[in-house]
Amino acid sequence: MEAASLVDDRPEAGVFRVHRTAFTDPQVFELEMARIFEATWVFVALESEIEQAHDFLTRQIGRQPVILTRDGTGALRGFLNSCRHKGTLLCPFRAGNRKFHTCPYHGWVYDSAGHNVGITDRADGHYPPAFDDDSHDLAPVARIDSYRGFLFASLSANVPSLDEHLGEARKLLDLVADQAPDGLEYIPGEASYTYDGNWKLQFENGLDAYHFATTHAAFVDIVRQRPRAGPPPQAPGPIIAGTISTARGHAMSWSVGAPGQGPDSRPLVRDARLLELARERVGAARLDWMLRQRNLTIFPNLQIIDIQSLQLRTWQPLAVDRTRMSSHCLAPRGESPQARRFRIRQYEEFFNTGGLATSDDNVMYALNQDGFAAHAAGDTQGYSRGMATPAAPPEPFTPLGLTDARCNYSPAGLAFGDETAIHVGYREWRRLLQAG
Amino acid sequence: MPDPTASAIATELLYLECRCLDDRDWATWLELYDAHAVYWVPAWRDEDTQTSDPDTEISQIYHDSRRGLEERVMRVQSGKSVTALPLPRTTHFVSNIEAAFESDDLIAARASWMALIYNPRTERQHSNFGRYELRLQKVGQRWLIARKTIRLQNDLIPALIDFYTL
Repeated sequence: MEAASLVDDRPEAGVFRVHRTAFTDPQVFELEMARIFEATWVFVALESEIEQAHDFLTRQIGRQPVILTRDGTGALRGFLNSCRHKGTLLCPFRAGNRKFHTCPYHGWVYDSAGHNVGITDRADGHYPPAFDDDSHDLAPVARIDSYRGFLFASLSANVPSLDEHLGEARKLLDLVADQAPDGLEYIPGEASYTYDGNWKLQFENGLDAYHFATTHAAFVDIVRQRPRAGPPPQAPGPIIAGTISTARGHAMSWSVGAPGQGPDSRPLVRDARLLELARERVGAARLDWMLRQRNLTIFPNLQIIDIQSLQLRTWQPLAVDRTRMSSHCLAPRGESPQARRFRIRQYEEFFNTGGLATSDDNVMYALNQDGFAAHAAGDTQGYSRGMATPAAPPEPFTPLGLTDARCNYSPAGLAFGDETAIHVGYREWRRLLQAG
Repeated sequence: MPDPTASAIATELLYLECRCLDDRDWATWLELYDAHAVYWVPAWRDEDTQTSDPDTEISQIYHDSRRGLEERVMRVQSGKSVTALPLPRTTHFVSNIEAAFESDDLIAARASWMALIYNPRTERQHSNFGRYELRLQKVGQRWLIARKTIRLQNDLIPALIDFYTL
């Protein structure tokens, strides 16, 4: 199976297609795990989750269990979560603080820097000399680095620096990080869920403004029928929507001016102190971008949705037709109690599986996946909107300081529903699968 | 101290709620709740503890009035949410009911619960289970739910939870 053949990328002919097999073939899934999730930078955690010496977290990278730790010097470390003795899962906990990790099976002990500091009854073991030719320390994760508190790791050493990998998308992450002068934190409360569909359905949907009005029609109706407290909403200005696509698959969908989605719907605006600090830090023009609706995707497994609340979601593909999601409410540290409460309620209502919108998406992914089985229907037609958009004027994007990105833009507003920001993800997908 | 009269009142109300949910008699179900009822499904903070303050921590669901429940019923009945197209079939169970009077018109109760959910489209089933904690308030001659906390043990959620699956 030739992975390159699954993406038909001919923009000059107005054609971009992804074959259904990319979503349904278990062999493609195995390739994705080996060549994407276990071979490039993936998001693993927020640095504030693992702040103190000896803090640890466990995660999956692709199919492989890892443990992330802060060692005694405060340095970030990552290891395969597998005892060197018999391969046993070393740490069964999600998170905690431990100077030493002891394998439950035979008691081999490792410190928070991954060094083996104890082999049970070693002297009595009559080990051959060759035993000491092998390191007994935990096997390290090849690369681990963070950008402004977002922690990434790679099981392959054959990757560029994280800065180079993120590239222009760093400026889009800055729009989130600059809201938090004392750093970002997760609001406590786990929200993990599964859906019966391929991981790329979540990847695509996070860049898809086109689905909102139909998929979430019931939610929109409910919000509209609510009695309004306080002053009437500001008269909406022109609604503008668009996308920004960068190298290595990262992209952002954005809009401004939609009724009910103005600055007054944003938690940041409910905290006058943080809003003023953000304005001082980034200036009025970048603050305007910070307060737009922005759905950012960092390929292959991170989305940050900055709308009526601020969500960070990441995913772990479980099978070609099943995905495990992990969702968090992101917040600036030191936020006022009123703004925090508003942020939490807005998050729960939209993003929770017990909320009124994300649950629609999750069921829709299962309908997508089941529909993909209709291979006889041929290629889908979901990547064409926006391919013929006239060149965007550069001025609106100037505050972002982007030097190498494709910016799409339309005064058609939310109806624009650009699908081209998805293209860069598939170009990166194909590049990695071919790189093997 | 568990009290037989309080337990009988709580049992009757819980059985009625299960019946309303499984029969999709949502108008009657909503009438079991006081207008200012708190409906709360806390999240898990870690393996062992749950979130305890809805204002500073995430909940799976938190409503501080019946209005939030009315909106959920509205959404399911709208024909516009794919979560209810088709609507899963459910069977709710409650047991281990313990209840006591806190005053003449206030009962505190707890119960174990399980909901079996079958999706007629996917032909798959799932169970949710945990503990209910309730405060029942006597309003006139009726006992109403003034507060319901739903503790969900298996919180890796397949696609969605909603009022009829809890």
